[in-house]
Amino acid sequence: MSVVSVEDVSKTFGAGHTAVTAVDHVSLSVDAGDIVLVMGPSGSGKTTLLSMIGTLMSPTTGRILISGQDTSTLKAAQLSRLRLREFGFVFQTFNLLSALTAEENVMMPLITAGVPRKHARGKARVALEQLQLGHRLRNLPRDLSGGEKQRVAIARSLANDPRLILADEPTANLDAKTGQDVTLLLCETACRENRAVIIVSHDQRLRTAAKRVITIEDGRLTAEERGEHDRHCRMHPGAGSS
Amino acid sequence: MLFLAVKNLVQEKTRLLISVGGVAFSVLLIMSIQGLYQGWSNKIGEYIRTVPADYWITQTGATDMFHTPSVLPLTVRDFLTGVEGVASAKPFSGRRVAFAHNGKDINLYVIADDTENNVGAPARVVEGKAVPDKGEIIIDRVVGRSENIRIGDTIPVAGRTLKVSGYSEGGYILSFSFAFATKEDAESILQLPGATNFFLITVKDGTNANDVASRIEADPAVDAITKDMFVENNTNIVRDTFLPIILVLLLIGIAVGMTVIGLTIFTSTIEKAREYGVLKAIGVSNRQLYTVVVEQAVTAAVLGYLLGAGLALAVSAAAGNYVPEFITEIRWLDAAWIFAVTVTMAVVSSLLPVHRLARIDPAEVFRA
Ligand SMILES: Nc1ncnc2c1ncn2[C@@H]1O[C@H](COP(=O)(O)OP(=O)(O)O)[C@@H](O)[C@H]1O
Ligand SMILES: [Mg+2]
Repeated sequence: MSVVSVEDVSKTFGAGHTAVTAVDHVSLSVDAGDIVLVMGPSGSGKTTLLSMIGTLMSPTTGRILISGQDTSTLKAAQLSRLRLREFGFVFQTFNLLSALTAEENVMMPLITAGVPRKHARGKARVALEQLQLGHRLRNLPRDLSGGEKQRVAIARSLANDPRLILADEPTANLDAKTGQDVTLLLCETACRENRAVIIVSHDQRLRTAAKRVITIEDGRLTAEERGEHDRHCRMHPGAGSS
Repeated sequence: MLFLAVKNLVQEKTRLLISVGGVAFSVLLIMSIQGLYQGWSNKIGEYIRTVPADYWITQTGATDMFHTPSVLPLTVRDFLTGVEGVASAKPFSGRRVAFAHNGKDINLYVIADDTENNVGAPARVVEGKAVPDKGEIIIDRVVGRSENIRIGDTIPVAGRTLKVSGYSEGGYILSFSFAFATKEDAESILQLPGATNFFLITVKDGTNANDVASRIEADPAVDAITKDMFVENNTNIVRDTFLPIILVLLLIGIAVGMTVIGLTIFTSTIEKAREYGVLKAIGVSNRQLYTVVVEQAVTAAVLGYLLGAGLALAVSAAAGNYVPEFITEIRWLDAAWIFAVTVTMAVVSSLLPVHRLARIDPAEVFRA
């Protein structure tokens, strides 16, 4: 069964002559272990599509199934639980909680899911160490570099062992090298653990990590190619050393 | 999620200081006035409790010592001793008098210290003579100290000059204090020939006190009031004066506390709207999010309570040394209800941003 099934989904903002169709009859299926790179010009509807897959926004028409479950039948609280268990989010602006340390930011989804504090702390530590942030556990976001922040966000997105990670332009606020390294790290981790990833990015170099590359224009899915994905999840010789 | 609430609070130190300070002020206000009320109530009861009597017999319609004058002819004593079950009946008289001393009005409630009947003695004499002789008076030490009236000094009491011969304790009640003169001196001050104010009766062992009271009240001229009830009637005076003040201060305290907590929690929620959106996106439910906000408000309120209660205790301990009127008693029960009010206040205040919280759109977090 697909992790995500997007079935003929459209999203229209506004009404009448000011209506904007941001996503226009898109169908897409993502399986476990898929690494999907979504490309397309600004304003083409990538974020809107990602938001709908992430159940943060409901489609105007069409349906989205998550592990076979039609999300339109779920109530707000059920959607929250679904997001907590099934999804990891990585944002362009990192979106870490400013009052929490790196470690605590990663603990947040675990604690929300009811994992005891001590256990959550242990898991967060391991995750951060794997992302080469073992020396940054007690730092607040304001004391971290952009790349470090995004790695904390990646650790947070992976905390609850999600089946699908949604990343919207994770490299946009980082310099090219850092952005690429961090994203490849995400892909590599997800790949090794057989998680699906959907990454929206303009960065052509990410093709080396992707299994599939999808192009969206004017809200429509216009092309799908195979990426240059390595079966052994070796994506970047320098990954993790940044 | 308490840890997030605490972290959020600590992150915004100024705001935390404002809300804790606001709550502390409210708690200090409410607790001090409640403590004064309790302290004064007890104080009034204190002396009356030491007077040996099962029942206070009053002129019908009189219920206390200060507000409803009671005058009874001494002949009532024969009637009382004749009532079945009465062991003793003793006259008790006293009167409030005022005199000027060093430009200040001093109010005494002069009681006839009737050594013959063994009634009307001070609760405790702490300095000087235990029993006044003719032309002498025992006053409360608090008045002696605060008004600088020393043992051996003379004071004008209702047209007579009496020499202070001792200090008693436990008879100081706000605007006046108990003082004790011989029966003869008191009679000339009271000017009630052939009469007294109350009779104190004791009931024979093994007799039903209620039955004795009903037999006494068969006489329409008198009322029989149990000791406890008489203490309560007298302390009610304090309650009646105080309750409205306490209520007003309680309302002011609650208004200040709620405004401060409400505003700080509201602005904090608005400032953190984006972070709350992130939490929503990663799967924190509205209910959990609301819990974080309530925990934030309640934590600030509890800190404010601890600070306020600590200040109230410190103030009541220290102020009593300088201002004799500052008699406070802070009971656990009062600390508990003030705590309950504080927590309730915090919970209600955090309802303010609920609507705002529910409206945060998690999809917004994808927008840069
Ligand atoms: N909440 C919204 N209200 C109105 N229009 C929106 C909203 N979100 C997106 N749009 C419009 O939908 C289109 C697609 O936006 P978006 O999904 O953000 O594109 P992309 O992420 O590819 O840049 C744009 O024209 C944008 O202005
Ligand atoms: Mg976008």
